[in-house]
Amino acid sequence: MESVQRIEKEGEFQEKVSFLQEKAKEVRLRIVKMIHKAQSGHPGGSLSAADIMTALYFEILRVDPNRPKWPDRDRFVLSKGHACPVWYTCLALRGFFPVEELDTLRQFESRLQGHPVATKTPGVDATTGSLGIGFAQSIGMALEGKMLKKEYKVYAMLGDGEMQEGVVWEAASSARKYKLDNLVAIVDNNGLQNDGNTDRIMPVEPLDKKFEAFGWTVKRINGHDMAQVLSALQEAKEHRGTPFCIIAQTVKGKGVSFMENVRGWHGKPPSDAELEQAIKELKGELT
Amino acid sequence: MSERKVQFEVKKADSPTRKCYSERMIEYGALDTEFVVFESDIGYSTYSYLFGEKYPERYFNMGIAELGTMAAGAGMAVDGRTVIVSGYGVFLTMRAVEVVRSFICYPHLNVKILSSHGGLTAAIDGVTHQATEDIAYMSTLPDMKVLVPCDKYSARAAFDISIQTPGPVFTRLMRDPLWDLYPETESFSLGGSKVIRTGGDITLVSYGDIVFQALEAAEVLAKKGIDAEVIDMYSVKPFDKETLLESARKTGVVLVAENHQKRNGLGYEIAAFLLKNFPVPFDNLGLDDTFGESGDYFKVIDKYGISARGIAEGAEKLLKRREKQ
Repeated sequence: MESVQRIEKEGEFQEKVSFLQEKAKEVRLRIVKMIHKAQSGHPGGSLSAADIMTALYFEILRVDPNRPKWPDRDRFVLSKGHACPVWYTCLALRGFFPVEELDTLRQFESRLQGHPVATKTPGVDATTGSLGIGFAQSIGMALEGKMLKKEYKVYAMLGDGEMQEGVVWEAASSARKYKLDNLVAIVDNNGLQNDGNTDRIMPVEPLDKKFEAFGWTVKRINGHDMAQVLSALQEAKEHRGTPFCIIAQTVKGKGVSFMENVRGWHGKPPSDAELEQAIKELKGELT
Repeated sequence: MSERKVQFEVKKADSPTRKCYSERMIEYGALDTEFVVFESDIGYSTYSYLFGEKYPERYFNMGIAELGTMAAGAGMAVDGRTVIVSGYGVFLTMRAVEVVRSFICYPHLNVKILSSHGGLTAAIDGVTHQATEDIAYMSTLPDMKVLVPCDKYSARAAFDISIQTPGPVFTRLMRDPLWDLYPETESFSLGGSKVIRTGGDITLVSYGDIVFQALEAAEVLAKKGIDAEVIDMYSVKPFDKETLLESARKTGVVLVAENHQKRNGLGYEIAAFLLKNFPVPFDNLGLDDTFGESGDYFKVIDKYGISARGIAEGAEKLLKRREKQ
């Protein structure tokens, strides 16, 4: 009996993984399309976070698109706010606003601002775009959850370059002091920042040892292996006692060959021809 | 009829002022071999990376850490060395403002701030990247000097003025290329300004990107028989009181337009100055106690009243108000 249940459970997990893998493809397609349409935005860091964001929005987060301000919802903070194309895509696909609205990214009088704005976009709880500050805000959101004895979790997504901001470590310290086991930090460790390789600009590793020294429970995963992503997020969701940090090894520009690991795709939109190539690759029409 | 109203020729610019300033900085690196540059991971955006390629030992990219970068820059300037600190306006003037105040201005250090994405020139990136209060923060600090060039040669001159002026100097630069105005031979100075169009009916004062909108507004007004004088107040602090006063005496009406909050910008400075010295009908245009938004630069500045259209309307309104007085 037990083994039957285990097999069923494994089957269920595999099904979820397959579903999320497919969903992530759609997310990536929409990211490159919307940035192309806007002719402005940050594709590299949006694509590197796409698998994790897909798993969060289609499996992990307890949110209700019809009640974006539902008091018991899980909170999500995109501390690396420039990657908002991936967030807007997940929110739209999850039903927070019409998918067609993705075409208005960064445009005049759009709800989809160049960086996330809480007062404009349904599903966005914290305004971000100045690195490090989103993570620090997530501390307050977690403290509020504790004060109100709510069950919700707060998930904050950071970039590896963002780890250079001092305020990140101020926030990390306070999470231990207040035993914020309702807080999950996810580092999209894609190894690149605006000016080049993170290792060369200002090394941030060993991130696992740093977070451990700050009193966090740390798990390092491959951020593009959906089984690892899902299982780490499930573990984080159940974890109690300490704040939890997932360090996800990712590839900037993941899924579009000419964007992968190329500094120049941090904040540059694709041309028409590049979009066409990207679409072919993401649809699996090219090998 | 044959009198030349506009003193300079407006041409489409190839490079944004952020790049022009950095290019001059690199050239100057050979003239002055002592100064250093601190960057906060937007070297490819401010073009300071080119300095780093030429002078790797004089270039410090401190990563995404604007507060710490500013403080490290201050530390390196303690014994008199000139330090250029490069970054985006919002982060340098707001996140790091305490360091600029207490540890650069107060000890009178030779720190020069290269501040990109001034005002709504970063329109498309949204509010978190639009430095629309930078002039207020920087000009409020004792000892700080504030420059806002509008084009290539004034941006290059801003670098020279910065490095040749003792103590802290802040230069606001633009995200995207707009137009060029001045010839290479034009000279600029701390506390100077340029009358770029002469006229007798109203004085339009501006700086940076809005200079071009003011010039265009003057042409719109000319068609309605209103002869506007346009001043490029590129040195925002200290500003050119003599030229302003001379123009105000001639026209008797002053309108300031700036890509900044109306509150505590150059408009407020000039209003206070005129009220004390030569009261005339006055108004100022800018963000009216509101934030900007994402979008096309021209649409956004138009919405917030600092496009040529907004300035021309503001001028007509002000002239009508004077008629009633």
